[in-house]
Parts: sequence; structure tokens; C-alpha cells
Amino acid sequence: MTTKRDLVVQPAHDLGGLPAGPLVRSDHELTPFEKNCHALLNVLSRHKLVNTEEKRRGVEDLGAQIIGELTYYERWAVSASKVLNEKGVITSAELGAKMNEIRTRLREAA
Amino acid sequence: MSDRFVKHQRVRIADRDAPGHVRTPVYARGREGRIERVLPRFLNPEREAYGVNEGTDVTLYRVRIDQSALWPDYDGPADDVLELEIYEHWLEPADRPHPEEVTP
Amino acid sequence: MTADPHAPIETAAAEPDYFDVLQQAIRELLVEKGLIEADEVRAMIETLDAHQPALGSALVARAWTDEAFKERLLADGTAAIEEFGIENYDGTKLIVLEQTPEEHNLVVCTLCSCYPRPVLGLPPDWYKSRPYRARAVREPRVLLKEFGTDVPEDVTIRVHDSNANMRYLVLPMRPAGTDGMTERELAGLVTRDTMIGVTTPRLP
Repeated sequence: MTTKRDLVVQPAHDLGGLPAGPLVRSDHELTPFEKNCHALLNVLSRHKLVNTEEKRRGVEDLGAQIIGELTYYERWAVSASKVLNEKGVITSAELGAKMNEIRTRLREAA
Repeated sequence: MSDRFVKHQRVRIADRDAPGHVRTPVYARGREGRIERVLPRFLNPEREAYGVNEGTDVTLYRVRIDQSALWPDYDGPADDVLELEIYEHWLEPADRPHPEEVTP
Repeated sequence: MTADPHAPIETAAAEPDYFDVLQQAIRELLVEKGLIEADEVRAMIETLDAHQPALGSALVARAWTDEAFKERLLADGTAAIEEFGIENYDGTKLIVLEQTPEEHNLVVCTLCSCYPRPVLGLPPDWYKSRPYRARAVREPRVLLKEFGTDVPEDVTIRVHDSNANMRYLVLPMRPAGTDGMTERELAGLVTRDTMIGVTTPRLP
């Protein structure tokens, strides 16, 4: 049985030795979104804006439910936004405004 | 600063469970093994995860652990091993000699 | 086939995808603030595209045909791949693990998806999956059988959890009966999976 302590100590990313089903040899070509996310996080790491450990920590801090529901690169995007916000590099307000601006641009272009 | 452990030395991986970002998997905590090799020093990931990008270098080691010591029900030959990377502040000397080292 | 939620948003009829808008907004904001260059993400995508498993295959074929190079590769993987002309773009350190008749090496990252990207590109989905990450450390022989790889009981399995700063590339054994093959033909035998340690090279 999973205790409340276990939820803290063995977060959703630490999988070694846990029960798991049969291996499925899955793979796919990265989508443009996934490539953009991967490249963005590499660039953020290069500039020490979000280093690799901060990105990982940001993903872990999303908690088991979000980790379970979001795809691999969706987690990266959310983690990056949260770490940048924490560090005061960007504010939630300016990020929200920029997201709205991008949506408007995309709808107009459609 | 010299490294605290040397190749082949028996070590125990600390069993700690405080919250925070760490790179020591739960399955390896509290286990004993040997230093397989001494690696370079790297920033402490536990500090880097909170934006500390310098001044925290710590020596990294590869530790070899017998599979049978990790999993009591391990289904495979006794020689099978697992190796992983452990930062110096997670290691302590294992005082108790390995059974194979005790001369009869 | 279900619709790709991350299809290019400019052609999608539906609402723009939340996460795609998010990543784009982060990039644009940081460019506006002068913290990253306008062209940097695109250039990084080109770098990612340029690093494919074929680089690792060529590296292994060289090691099979040049004993001195193999020694250098095993002694210092990072220096040897740079000597071979592979850009170590993520700055990680590489350890090369040699398969021998006595020892079979297998690489996993139980904590996330650490992988030797400069030599193998990005990892396949299964490498990031729960079954692989959970079971490789605990029942490697059973898992390898699911890849069709039967490791005899007198061969020691060394599982490497790539859990921190180092990255690992497996140097497979050159198959028998390949004496007359060119380096290029040999590279064709070296699949990505043989360099993770889940399969072994076979003649076609």
C-alpha cells in the first residue's frame, strides 16, 4: 500500500524496481511541437535560464496526477514556465498576455 | 580537495528520505557495494535544481552492487551486478567486510 | 488514426493547442527580453536533427576495424567521439561499455531519460516507458528476452543506471563471419538497440 510518506519520498519519476507491465517497443517521429520543446529547453539550459536539474525538479513538482496525464514534452513546457516564473525571469502576467497574443495571431492566420 | 573514496572500496549508500530533488534512486538507498570508478566532480544536483549554478562541486562515483543484494528475489546468476552514479555526500564507508573477504 | 494534438497549429482548424502556445510564448518572451537569440531554437532543432543513431553505428564500425581507436574509445569516450568528428553538443561525458563473451551491458535511466544524445540522437519511446525503466534494473534477463535477446547464464549482466551526469554507449561484439566486410557494411549491422544493449548485431 502506498503511504503518504511514499508519495513524498518516491515521486512519480523514480521507477527503478517498481511493478510494471510487459515492454512495448514503441517509438514515433517527434512532432514539430515536441522538437520545439526539446530545442527550447536545450537553449534555456545553455543560458542557465532553466538548467537540466531545474527542469527535472519542475517536472517532479507537478505531482503524480499531472505527470500521469501530460505527455513527456507537455511536462517540459509547463516545468519551464514555472521555473522561469519562480526565478523572476518572466511573470505569469506577461506570459498569459503573450499566450493570448499568440492565440489571436493564430486564429487570424487560420 | 581529495576524493573521500577509492576504487574497489566498500561503501554504503545513505538511506535518507527528506523531500527535495535528488538523483539517488530509492531502490539503491541503504544498499552496500563497491566503488567501480571515481568520476570527475560535478555541481551538486540537489542545489542546481534550485538554480545554484556554481560553487557546489562534489565528486561523483560509480558504485557496483550485487543484484542479489538489491533484490532478495533476484532471479539470475550470482555474478549479475548493477552500477549507478552516486554523489559523495550520499556515501559512507561500509565497515562490515563483505562475506567473501573474510578469510577462514 | 486519431488527430495529433500537436499538429502544426497554423494549419489546425481547432483551437490552438495549450502547450504549443505555451512553449511558443516562452520563446518569444525570452527573445523580446534579449535573453535568447531569435534564431537559437531553430538552430538547435537542426543540431538535434543532425544527431542520429547512424553516428553511433559509424563509431562502432571504426572501433571494430581500428584496434587503437577502440582502445581510445574505451579509455575516454568523450575525447574519442570528438576525435571522430561528433559534436558533443550537450556537454555530457561518455562512458563506452564493451560487450564481451563474459559480460553483457545494458543501459537504462530509472529517473528520467538520460541517453547518449550526441551519438544516438533522441531516445525511442520505449526507453522512456515505465516497463523499461522499472524492470531493467530488477529483472534484466526477463526484459531482454522480451527483446528477443537470450543472455546465457554463464554471461554476467551489468546493468548501468544512467541516473546522474555520465552517459553510456554500448560497444557490441563484432559478429563472426564479417571478416570481408567494409567499415561501411559493418556499420549497417549496428542498430540503435545494439548500442543500448537490448539486442546484439546479426548478419542480414
